[in-house]
Amino acid sequence: MLSVPWIILLLPLASAVIITLVTHRNASLSALISVASAATTLALTIWLLAQDTVATSSFEWIKVGDSFTISLGLIVDKLSQGMMFIVTAVGTAVHVFSLGYMKTDEGKSRYFAGLSLFMFSMTGIVLADNFVMMFIFWELVGVSSYILIGHWFEKNSAAEAAKKAFIVNRIGDFGFMVGILLVWGLTGSVYFEDIEAALPGGIGKHILTTATLCIFAGAVGKSAQIPLHVWLPDAMEGPTPVSALIHAATMVAAGVYMLARTFFLIEFSNAGIFIAWIGAITCLLAALMAIQQDDIKRVLAYSTLSQLGYMVLAVGVHNPEAGMFHLYTHAFFKSLLFLSSGAVIYACHHEQNIWKMGGLRKKLPITTFAFLCGTLALTACPLTSGFWSKEHILHAALDKHGSVALFSIGLAVAFLTAFYMGRLFTVAFFGKPRDHASEDAKEVPPVMWIPICILSVFALFGAYKMFWGPLKILHPAPPAHSHPFILYASIAAFLLGIGSSYLIYRHKNKDPLHIPLFANRFYIDNFYDLLVRFGTNGLAYVAKSIDQILIDGLAVRGSAKITSSAGSMLRRLQVGNLQGYAFLFGFGIIVVIYLTLFSRS
Amino acid sequence: MITLNHYLMVSGALFTIGFAGVLLRRNVIVIFMCLELMLSAASVALVAFSRFNLTPEGLPNYHGQVLVFFIITVAAAEVAVGLAIIVAVFRARQTTDVQQLTSMKG
Amino acid sequence: MTILTAIIFVPILAAIAMVGIGTPAKKTALAAAAINLLFAFVAWAQFDPAVAGYQLAGSFPILSKPELAFSVGADGITIILLLLTTIVTLCAVWMSPADKDDNKLFHVSSLLISAGALGAFLSTDLFFFYAFHELALIPTFLMIGIWGSGDNKRVAWKITIYLGLGSLVLLAGLLALFITSGSSSFSFDSLQTASQSISPEIQKWVFLPLLLGFGTLVSLFPLHSWAAPAYASAPTPTAMLHAGVLKKFGLYGLIRVAVPMLPEGAQAWTNLACILLLGNILYVGLVTIASRRLDHMLGNSSVMHMGYLFLGVFSLNTIGLNGAVLLMFAHGLSIALLFGLASKLRESTGTLEFGRLGGLGKSAPVLAFTFALGAFASIGLPGFTNFASEVLVFFGGFKDYVDLPIASKSLGALQITTILAVLGVLISAIYMLRAYRAVFQGDKPVPEEGDPEITAADLTFSQRIPVTILIAALIITGCLPFLLLRLLDSTTQLLAITP
Repeated sequence: MLSVPWIILLLPLASAVIITLVTHRNASLSALISVASAATTLALTIWLLAQDTVATSSFEWIKVGDSFTISLGLIVDKLSQGMMFIVTAVGTAVHVFSLGYMKTDEGKSRYFAGLSLFMFSMTGIVLADNFVMMFIFWELVGVSSYILIGHWFEKNSAAEAAKKAFIVNRIGDFGFMVGILLVWGLTGSVYFEDIEAALPGGIGKHILTTATLCIFAGAVGKSAQIPLHVWLPDAMEGPTPVSALIHAATMVAAGVYMLARTFFLIEFSNAGIFIAWIGAITCLLAALMAIQQDDIKRVLAYSTLSQLGYMVLAVGVHNPEAGMFHLYTHAFFKSLLFLSSGAVIYACHHEQNIWKMGGLRKKLPITTFAFLCGTLALTACPLTSGFWSKEHILHAALDKHGSVALFSIGLAVAFLTAFYMGRLFTVAFFGKPRDHASEDAKEVPPVMWIPICILSVFALFGAYKMFWGPLKILHPAPPAHSHPFILYASIAAFLLGIGSSYLIYRHKNKDPLHIPLFANRFYIDNFYDLLVRFGTNGLAYVAKSIDQILIDGLAVRGSAKITSSAGSMLRRLQVGNLQGYAFLFGFGIIVVIYLTLFSRS
Repeated sequence: MITLNHYLMVSGALFTIGFAGVLLRRNVIVIFMCLELMLSAASVALVAFSRFNLTPEGLPNYHGQVLVFFIITVAAAEVAVGLAIIVAVFRARQTTDVQQLTSMKG
Repeated sequence: MTILTAIIFVPILAAIAMVGIGTPAKKTALAAAAINLLFAFVAWAQFDPAVAGYQLAGSFPILSKPELAFSVGADGITIILLLLTTIVTLCAVWMSPADKDDNKLFHVSSLLISAGALGAFLSTDLFFFYAFHELALIPTFLMIGIWGSGDNKRVAWKITIYLGLGSLVLLAGLLALFITSGSSSFSFDSLQTASQSISPEIQKWVFLPLLLGFGTLVSLFPLHSWAAPAYASAPTPTAMLHAGVLKKFGLYGLIRVAVPMLPEGAQAWTNLACILLLGNILYVGLVTIASRRLDHMLGNSSVMHMGYLFLGVFSLNTIGLNGAVLLMFAHGLSIALLFGLASKLRESTGTLEFGRLGGLGKSAPVLAFTFALGAFASIGLPGFTNFASEVLVFFGGFKDYVDLPIASKSLGALQITTILAVLGVLISAIYMLRAYRAVFQGDKPVPEEGDPEITAADLTFSQRIPVTILIAALIITGCLPFLLLRLLDSTTQLLAITP
């Protein structure tokens, strides 16, 4: 008997399968099925939120003998309930928005099948009760992301981006798998519950830290932390709703969710400080890169990186509640920003360069308002949801596992966030249209602006208890020692950032600031390109040459050569003359006779 | 007195003449005849051994003589086959010179 | 006569009918393959996984001293390989190029490869185990030599000599095993019993030729360089059957003969095997990345994946062994699928060079989609059997570590090897996705002056059926791996050295 959580999990899969096998020729029907499945899972999730405990069955997926079993089972607790709400709510909004955005796309069926597959995989990550199951769905979100980034696969850049995303993620997955093996080796279990119970049993701290960091590598890949962050900006090649759902709100946050789920590992090991610093560095570098991007989606992508850095930082300083809370608010305001940027792009006939936009405020009033809501929340305007969640993170950074350095980075990023978002908003929405694309922009249809408006409400007010309470979102406890300084500092950072950017970018037609280091993303991408070209490809070329020259050439063909040259030497003996043979024959006989008769001594 | 050694010397001489012929002559038919000569040498030796190695009862050892009969019959058959082959080779190659029959050269 | 004997002889009889009576070639071959698949399912249904030892056994004595009998039997491993062989045979025959539909020799050869593989897997007698494999190799050589593409004559010679030498070394090893065990019979059971008495030192030196012999047949590094050119040049069904099925013979031999009969020998060479299998995974993985043609890439990738299989075997425990057997099944299906699709692609494009292909997903969407599924299966994506089995293999590698007491946990050679082997999932993703990108995605390259424009024909309805069968088998057993694993429990417990 399938319980409700199983239905939530399997319904999107059923939708994906039906679209692929049956309705792939009928695009509108496919879209309808996919949207219906998303909406149903949202409804079921809301029902689920009202339950305290839900009994779910698990089934044995792999069983070897009596000692080794891996089951697929579901966890329904506060953490997964809250996360499920985020996934299904944003998911449904994105599905509905896509009805408008992808209306005339050729591969609409494929697109919606991909979305459904993604919903299935993401739900699996959230509900997984053990590492292997989480890894399964971890890989599957990677595939759905690959499919959706590469939706327009005939475009070279999209195909490259999809490939890059998958491969970079696999680097992280390598660490994740090794981490799972190590944890299994240390505790004898892959189930979260059992591992947590086994940890106090005297496991060596160093090896546990190693294992935790290996698992963290998975999160680094999926949540695009430095040094594996390079795929996320490129992933913007996918359709914009996909960027909103997968590459802003849910999948990239899966790393953070996973860290929160397995927080006991960080608690018992020394990995926290390392994780916190990775988060902080990502946070800072990504914010700096965002300042110099011209593509509206890329600005948002770097902003996502930076915000994910915040969340990882929070988990690293032993405050997963703060990380999860920011994940929740971020999911709404960032998907809002992406969807409204999608609306902008749609209205501007797929123009993405902010320097070709301008004056959109008058052409797209609803979208502008929604984008403003998102911007305010992201820049932590006081009283919006983003403000509160960021407050918690800044507090956590100063807490007993944090440090002043981490806090200062967090504060600096708060300023930078306000600055780059102010820049984006000023350039794209104020001033005059700079290009005909933005001149004849028209407001998007309701199927696109209605989901945006709903998300706006969450973006502004999501941090109040009337929202997160019933949604069972993890909410950090108020800090033990409240520093009023933090409050003032972050308000100051916000005002300073917005104000300075408005002053700098007002009435400008091209970027007055020019910082090549930031614009070129600290040359990290170039460095990786070199690394791949001379590292992997070079190594591969060397291996291939060794294979051809040494193994196939020297060893295999060499031995063949020796055999054949030995043959051609022996061939000389074959004179072909009857009398020659007869002579040798006689000579042989004489030798034999000599040996038998005279060499007895 | 003619002893076994005399017979063996004749046999050895015959064999050597035959073998030298095989090695030195070019005509296949001559080589073939020289082969026959070598067989005869063996027969002479066998008969001589048979005559001089008497059994305890004073009879000659007939094993050698029986073997000689075998050699004679086999040689007859062999001549037939051998000449047939030579004729076939001659038809194919128009020559009986062994120096020119070198297609077995590696 | 049990159903297993029937399974071996159905393809042979079909081949005789084709030549003797003159039944239409492809139809007869297809019918034989279909009947065999059906029989395999019957055998699967009759098989009782709870019982250890051979089931459905039958024996036909031939010699009494030493005891030699044509005997067949099935345990869990055999049933899985039986399913693999019959599925792949059906699909391979089905996907044979259309211009060979009436070519009797071609289809006879395909059927003989299948019969040889079935015989080798089903025999419970060392002699027939070896002889049937040799029987299957000969048509393989012939098919490459006669109907192969490219430099096929040279490749055919190369693989003949390579595998011939490998088989010879193997034969020496098997003889050594038979002699040193002092067994009076060639049957696996009595050899297994008799071999218990071989001293560890002798085991060590008997195991080595077995490792090298079986290793050559499975393209263990550095004895792998025959594989990629052979598969690149082989006609469709040959590549599918050899890479998918026949190559598994070497591993099957290790699992069935070498490891359980010479446990100390296996342990003595575990470190060497670890290094060699890392050569397969990492080194050949890099070679695969550098491949510039789809068929070479697939051939090398199949060599690379053998590393995982060796890892599973040399973990020497039930988890790893189960993983290895499952992976044989998974890899056989996925590589057969990929080779089949690549050949279909070559039939319409005339080339498999990455530089000349591109953007074919547009004109051949079904081909692209199914190839993507095959590629995903091959890189071990969840949902396909490959993932479940690779996970088992990895866990098998860490089993020793779990069993260590908590105070003295330290990573052994096997664990280090496993960690490095996990790196293979990254390498395989790189080459597979690059290849997919080069062939199916992005722009079409502009053809050079005078060259015709390259287009790909999509799969026809008839071609989609075998492709669907392969994918369905991969997905069903991938989502529900316990369907196959439950067959293995009682079998691998007997064969594994540590539980």
